[in-house]
Amino acid sequence: MDSVLRAAAMYVALMVLFKIAGRRSLAELTTFDFVLLMMIGEATQQALLGDDFSITNAILVIVTLIAIDVGLSLLKQRSSWASRLIDGEPTIIVENGKLLRERLRHARLVEADVMEAARSSQGIEKLEEIKFAIIERNGKISIIAREE
Amino acid sequence: MNDDVEHPDLHSRKFPVREDMAYQLKVWRFERCGWYMLVLLVVLGLAGLFSRGLLSTRDVRSEDGRVRVQYEMFHRNGSTNSMNISVSGVPESTVELELAGEILEGFSIETLQPEPARARSSGQGIRLWLQTDTQGQADLFITLRGDGLGLFHSRIVLPGTNDVRLAQFIFP
Repeated sequence: MDSVLRAAAMYVALMVLFKIAGRRSLAELTTFDFVLLMMIGEATQQALLGDDFSITNAILVIVTLIAIDVGLSLLKQRSSWASRLIDGEPTIIVENGKLLRERLRHARLVEADVMEAARSSQGIEKLEEIKFAIIERNGKISIIAREE
Repeated sequence: MNDDVEHPDLHSRKFPVREDMAYQLKVWRFERCGWYMLVLLVVLGLAGLFSRGLLSTRDVRSEDGRVRVQYEMFHRNGSTNSMNISVSGVPESTVELELAGEILEGFSIETLQPEPARARSSGQGIRLWLQTDTQGQADLFITLRGDGLGLFHSRIVLPGTNDVRLAQFIFP
């Protein structure tokens, strides 16, 4: 019984903690962020398995996690409110070459983050060439270039 | 927050994505409050609320000082903590010490040093006979492993003096 409870508790706890951390925390920005995510994975694994390394326990934990995940995705399909709560929504941060600074401030972003995404995805050199920059639900910044 | 819908930056756009800035501002406020909660948890953790620290480590004695117990008030399930019991009595003899109450319901004793002269179960707990040294002191070093969840009340009983009451809480 405790395996299922551990898995469910860790799933919920991680969901809440990553919601607190914000969208950018899952975007795998630098090597350090990647290593940090791996460390979180390691800490989670210890809590999930405890001192029970049997196949039964491992499968039970994995089954519980997948069941909750699929259940939530079914819920998200049915209810747009749940989908918004769990996944979030995209937010525009640059509009017609101008930074929306209040939004950047709330999202804890700087202009350099936007320009990095612009250069790597579209080869854009200047802020004025960006029509829209949007921070997506998964934390990645997508860039729509201005048509010439 | 008075910048809620006043600032033009924070108005909802419709193209290329349909936005609901009122909701997004709530999300950002939740993130900020969540960050304060995380800091609070870190501070409490450092202070020992989740075992091993100022808030958790206790050093209690019986009224006449014959029994002294150093223990942790907060434990985490699956992890071990030490408990030291010091007893004074007649030199070069045996003293009877009882660990009574719920202690063995929530904990398992991983190590018990030095080995008691005699040991017996007693109701919910155990009764130990310890050999005192030339000064009449006997020390018991116990490693407790938290196996249960929740609050456990126990007593350290030495005949001839009042019980030392312990309350221990095990976090999941």
